[in-house]
Parts: sequence; structure tokens; C-alpha cells
Amino acid sequence: MNQPIFSFLALLLCLSGCAVSGKDPAAKSVRPASSTVGDDFANVPVQKVNDPLQGFNRTMFGFNDELNTHAWRPLAHGYAIVVPRPVRTGISNFFDNVQFPVRFINSVLQGKLTRSAQEAGKFVFNSTFGVGGLIRVSDHVSGLADVPAEDFGQTLGVWGIPAGPYIVVPVLGPSDCRDIVGFAGDYVMSPLNWHTLGFIHYKYISDGVSIALSAVRYVNALPKTVETYDKIKSAAVDPYIAVRDAYLSYREAQMKK
Amino acid sequence: MRLNLFRSILKSFLVSLLLGVGRTSSAAPVDDPATMLRSSIDEMLSVAYVGHGNENLPARVRPLVEKSFALELVTRQAMGPGWRQFSAAEQKRITDLFSELLIRTYSARVVGTERPKISYGAPVELASDRREIPTRVVTSSSNDPIAVVYRLIRLPAGWRVYDVLIEGVSFVANYRAQFDEIIQKGGAPAVIRTIEAKLAAPADSRS
Repeated sequence: MNQPIFSFLALLLCLSGCAVSGKDPAAKSVRPASSTVGDDFANVPVQKVNDPLQGFNRTMFGFNDELNTHAWRPLAHGYAIVVPRPVRTGISNFFDNVQFPVRFINSVLQGKLTRSAQEAGKFVFNSTFGVGGLIRVSDHVSGLADVPAEDFGQTLGVWGIPAGPYIVVPVLGPSDCRDIVGFAGDYVMSPLNWHTLGFIHYKYISDGVSIALSAVRYVNALPKTVETYDKIKSAAVDPYIAVRDAYLSYREAQMKK
Repeated sequence: MRLNLFRSILKSFLVSLLLGVGRTSSAAPVDDPATMLRSSIDEMLSVAYVGHGNENLPARVRPLVEKSFALELVTRQAMGPGWRQFSAAEQKRITDLFSELLIRTYSARVVGTERPKISYGAPVELASDRREIPTRVVTSSSNDPIAVVYRLIRLPAGWRVYDVLIEGVSFVANYRAQFDEIIQKGGAPAVIRTIEAKLAAPADSRS
């Protein structure tokens, strides 16, 4: 089992990165008193980013970009033509529902007990009235709509573990040390992987079916992922920086929810 | 006969009253940021989703963006402290180019999509002259609502948008990060060259 080794290596890298990054006092956004309207607008310093591996990251970004152009985008377009949007939404709802333990456990780990109760409520509603999770009926239930999704990367952040260096993972895309460990944690918490990990032996599910399920989940999410990436990139003057800033700001905002 | 005359007088009176009211409301500066934002977005959406295709959308959107955004402030933020080193002519040129980029980006976002439903949250006071208004955008293409936050500043002409945050990603901070190195290496000429090259690329360019 490579999972614990992977997590340990990522944690090591993360800790070493934390030592490199430190806290830069200049990074703090200070708003000085201004005499004219908007006078302070040019004073906001650029957000300091922990990116010591930028050379490697830019290479990987280029590699992933080629992969996006030649593999993911055509695959996503083809899939979107064959599988209409309502079906894609149903599949996405189904997998979101199956992933309930990930959000539930992480809500508990962060001490957000109301949120964990909401997650449990969502799971019950969607599994029953939502035909096994295909329809997200919970959106129409007061108190169960728009529940922010928790993951292990956010849990680590709430626990005070710094993000560490920004890393562009081959194939998977932008991440940071904390989120790589988070990814491994969520992998273990996801029922989709419990059979592969040997936690549970589903009688009729082989390893092949388990992998196929994960592949369907990934491909089903592709059209949205490719669209988001293309939107950020098409407006950017430096796509690498634009994606890095978008990823880090997005994760920061998720953690605060 | 007399009844008809009365009716026509009454009608013209009502019409002039309505027009007069209309004129007064459009001429008065909107002092409430929430009202200003809502009417600006409604206007933008009615232009973007009018139903006769997306031809010349940037040209149609331009007057609305110019009316509701503090474009010079948006540009100044995106450039950071380097802005003060630029000459007045460079600042003007960069503001024009960056505004064009903003307008094109907005236009590209609404191409081929259906009119979204927007719900508005209560304004948050950032400073006496600044407000933040959270909104939630529901589109048919997305399963989950998108959190869009508008930041507005009170200028002599009225409230204007100076930043937009989509799911926590600030528009100006994102460009500020991108331009930082470009400004450090080549100053204003490099910024002008970069945006010109970006604008010269085909609209559907992925690069």
C-alpha cells in the first residue's frame, strides 16, 4: 500500500516548504489614510506566494496544458455531446452523494457539527427521495441547500497546518502540499475506494468495477473542469500565474466558509 | 365629443406624467449601491441575452461597463505601486487597453450561455465610501450556485464597481499578480505590449 508513504512524503515536503516560506511582513495589505478617493488603490502589495518550485511547476503546467489541449478537451467535448447535461448532472449528484462520508467526517474533524448534521440530512433525503442520489432534492429543503463541501485539505488548514509550497501535479493540476495530503486523506474516506483499500469487500464488485467507477466520476466532471480552466486561461496575460492565484484564492475562500 | 376630448387630455396628461417621472428617476444619481448594482446588472443581462446572437457583444457591453465600473481605479489596482512610475500618457493607454480586456472577458463569459438568475445579499460596509455586495448566480450549466461578490466605491458621479470576486478569486488581485513580474522587468512599455498582444490574439484563443 503506497498511500501512507505518499502522504508521509508529501507531509515532509510540506514541512520543508513551510520552513522556506516564512511570513513576509510586506505581504500584509495595509491601507494607508488617503486624501483623495481611491488614492490608496495602487498601494496594495501583491500577494506573496510560496512557490519555490516555480521552474518545475511551469514545466508541469506546460505539460498539463498540452494534455488539456490534446486529450482532456477533445474527450470532454465528445463526452458532453454523447451524454446530455441532465444525465451528467445526475451522475455528478450520484457521486457527490456517495462521497457523503468525506464531507461528514471533515465537518466533524473541523468541529462544524451543524454542518455535519446538514450533510447527514442531505444524504438521507437524496438517497431516498432523490432516487439513490441521482436528484439533489435537498436543494429544495430549507437548511440543506448550499452547504459548503468540506474536505481534508480544508480540515488541515483549519487545524493550523500551513499550505506549504504550491505544486503543479502532473496530470492532476494545481495543488499545494497541504492539499496533496488532503487528497490522500479524502481518498481513504471515500467509499469508492474502500474496496480497493481492502476496508470492505463488496461481494459483487471487482477491482475493475471500482476503478471504472472512479474513471466515470472523473470523466463526468471533465467538461466543467476544462471549461473553468479555459475561461481562466483565455483571459490571462500570464496563464501560469492566473491559475496559481485563482487556485490559492479559491482554496483560501473555501476554508473560510 | 366632450368625453373624447377629456379622455385625450387625461391620456396626454398621464403620458407626460409618466415620462416626467421616468426622466426624473433616470437623471437623479443613484445613491444606493445595491440599487445601482442591481440596475447595472439587469441592464447588462438584457443586453447580453437579448436573443439576437453575440455579434458585437463587446461593443454593446462597453457603454454599460464604462457606466458601472471605476475603470481607472480597477486598472490602478491591477498595476500596483508601479502605476506611479508610469507617465500620464502611459496610464491613459494602459487604462484603455485594460478596460478593453475587461470588456472582452465579460463578453466571452456570457457567450452561448443562458440568462442566469441572480440573488442579492445585504451590502457590507468596508469603509464609509466602500461597500461589498454578495450575490449568488445560478446558471443552467452549473449544478451549484456561483458566489460573486461586487466591491463598490462612492465617486462624485455615484457608486462604481472597483472589483469583482468570483468564488473568492478577486479579478484585480489576479491581474495584479500577473502584471507584477511584467512591470518589474519592463515597466509600462512591457504592460502595453503584453495587453496589445493579448487583444490582437483571436477572441477564442486559448493561449
